[in-house]
Amino acid sequence: MDNLQELLHGFTIAVTVPHLVLMVVGVLLGILVGVLPGLGAPNGVSLLLPLTFGMQPVSAIILLSSMYWGALFGGSVTSILFNIPGEPSSVATTFDGYPMARDGRPTTALATAFGSAAFGALVGVILITFLASWVAQVALAFGPPEYFAVYFLAFASFVGMGGAAPIKTVVALAIGFAIAAIGIDTVSGSVRLTMGVDELVKGVSFVVAVMGLFGIGELLVAVEEEFHARAVSSKIDWREVFRAVGRLPRHGVALLRSAAIGCWMGITPGGPTAASFMSYGIARRFSRRGRYFGTGEVEGIISPETADHAAGTSALLPMLSLGIPGSATAAVMMGGLMIWGLNPGPMLFVDQKDFVWGLIASMYVGNIVAVALVLLTVPVFAALMRIPFVVIAPLIVIICVVGAYSVSNSYLDVVMMLGFGIVGYLFKKLFYPLAPLVLAIVIGDKAEDAFRQSMLMSKGSLGIFFANKLVTCLIVAGIALLLLPLALQLARLWRKPASPATDTTSQEKVII
Amino acid sequence: MISRRALELATAVLTGGFGVAVIVSSLDNGIGWSSAGVEAGTFPFLTGIIIVLGSLYNLARGVLPAPTLASVPIAITPIELRRLAGLFVPAALFVAAIPLAGMYVASALYVFAVLAIPKHQSVPRALAMAAATALALYVVFERMFQVSLPHGALAAALGF
Repeated sequence: MDNLQELLHGFTIAVTVPHLVLMVVGVLLGILVGVLPGLGAPNGVSLLLPLTFGMQPVSAIILLSSMYWGALFGGSVTSILFNIPGEPSSVATTFDGYPMARDGRPTTALATAFGSAAFGALVGVILITFLASWVAQVALAFGPPEYFAVYFLAFASFVGMGGAAPIKTVVALAIGFAIAAIGIDTVSGSVRLTMGVDELVKGVSFVVAVMGLFGIGELLVAVEEEFHARAVSSKIDWREVFRAVGRLPRHGVALLRSAAIGCWMGITPGGPTAASFMSYGIARRFSRRGRYFGTGEVEGIISPETADHAAGTSALLPMLSLGIPGSATAAVMMGGLMIWGLNPGPMLFVDQKDFVWGLIASMYVGNIVAVALVLLTVPVFAALMRIPFVVIAPLIVIICVVGAYSVSNSYLDVVMMLGFGIVGYLFKKLFYPLAPLVLAIVIGDKAEDAFRQSMLMSKGSLGIFFANKLVTCLIVAGIALLLLPLALQLARLWRKPASPATDTTSQEKVII
Repeated sequence: MISRRALELATAVLTGGFGVAVIVSSLDNGIGWSSAGVEAGTFPFLTGIIIVLGSLYNLARGVLPAPTLASVPIAITPIELRRLAGLFVPAALFVAAIPLAGMYVASALYVFAVLAIPKHQSVPRALAMAAATALALYVVFERMFQVSLPHGALAAALGF
């Protein structure tokens, strides 16, 4: 009951005119980056981040999270209308959404997608409402060893369940750690890994890395493919919208299953992209009409969309309550929290009640605003798709350059951002996952500090990580997740020795 | 044309090189255990080792003809390479021009060059877009959010 009271209090913070205006602005900007190929939720949020430095933390997070909802919705618009996923997480939506739209049912496809997306988001928010403060209370008992164990679990689950080649994930993670270590060491105060460049003492800001990795990197991937956007009619027939949404309860099983997959993948940092692919794959296997998937099946749209939004929303739960971001976007937002002077983690629920519950309440309102706006703006954004890519590309480059520079007024950051762009392109091209890299840049330092503080407590004995039940469980779970890919591979070799090839390609598909 | 294998190898060498740099650099901070706890270089040293080992594994997988690589032998075709260069080279020139010309002039020149030289837009329209970009940057950053973007050596010489 406490939670409900807090939530009502949160609504009084979220439902004020300035915050509603921020939500509308955020959702519109979010739909814009979601619709534009080459920009996604992580880019949008990081591009907007420098502009929030002077705001109240609640207002800033409402703006950023609204943008996140908008981007999640916007990504599906282009997937369905043009077969261009504006977002990695809406790739799976193209499989059935585009065929349905091409058959002359774009309204049905869009309404189904938005309806199930809203359901997924709602489940995610409810989960956060009831679990967040509980998770935070448990986390209050945490000391440095437990913290390290949770970080370890987060990193391990990326390796075990992220879907990418495990060794590539490990390399991406380790590079992130090394980048996080650049600059002044918080424990000893000594300067590390500057390689003789004095300017690196301030460290490498994750904003610079994210702008390059996602902004420039994705632009390079996008420019390489030809854009044959062939627009289908994007007029909305309002009655069909309600009919399509009204038909959704018939697919209750698919909705609930996809929401569950989404929530699980959001809390363990699998992320929305992996969640939507996983949900689509499972739906195809279990649906009675599974063999018609790919030709415009309703469940083929419901499953990835619900999971995508459930994961996108619940990814904020570990960010708020434990200080571990569940997705790349959440990682960027967490960086924002630190810049605004808040410390993500369990203490947030004690020290910053207004902030937390204002944010949670804004999730309910923000999603309603997002659904309404996305339906209204479909024709507008369809027109936007006609702006040629050659015009949009230089504008994105300029936004990234200015964004990287304005973090700390450093030209070196701009050059590094461009370098990160090449790295992002190579990694995307070769299926190295980017989310663990960003995750490690953001929380690598904290994980290291937790480890070293634990070592100080135990005078150098690793036994402290097995000193009580909680920390032992977390560490064992982490090790199990780390070894999971190895175990699966061994099991597969043992069962049928001849077919490891097909599986790797399906793995590669998942992380596109 | 760049093969998938060459790209895999290049990336593995790149990550491995970074790993070696991290290892060498972390040795300066000291690794292991001292009276003040775990020394500052230990963690980077370990991550460096992991990067190098992982890169070697990826390198080996790139060299050996794995079945997955055979299914997509070509990573970047010549046309794609030209498109990539068409985006990246002007962007790099733009970044290189910033210290001299300043953010506003450089971005205006960049937009104009990218649109007008390959004849994507007519010269007057490209000029208008270039001016609009610089103006929008100035209004949003310098005026609304009071963030000073670099004005460049040229502007400094002219007394701005």
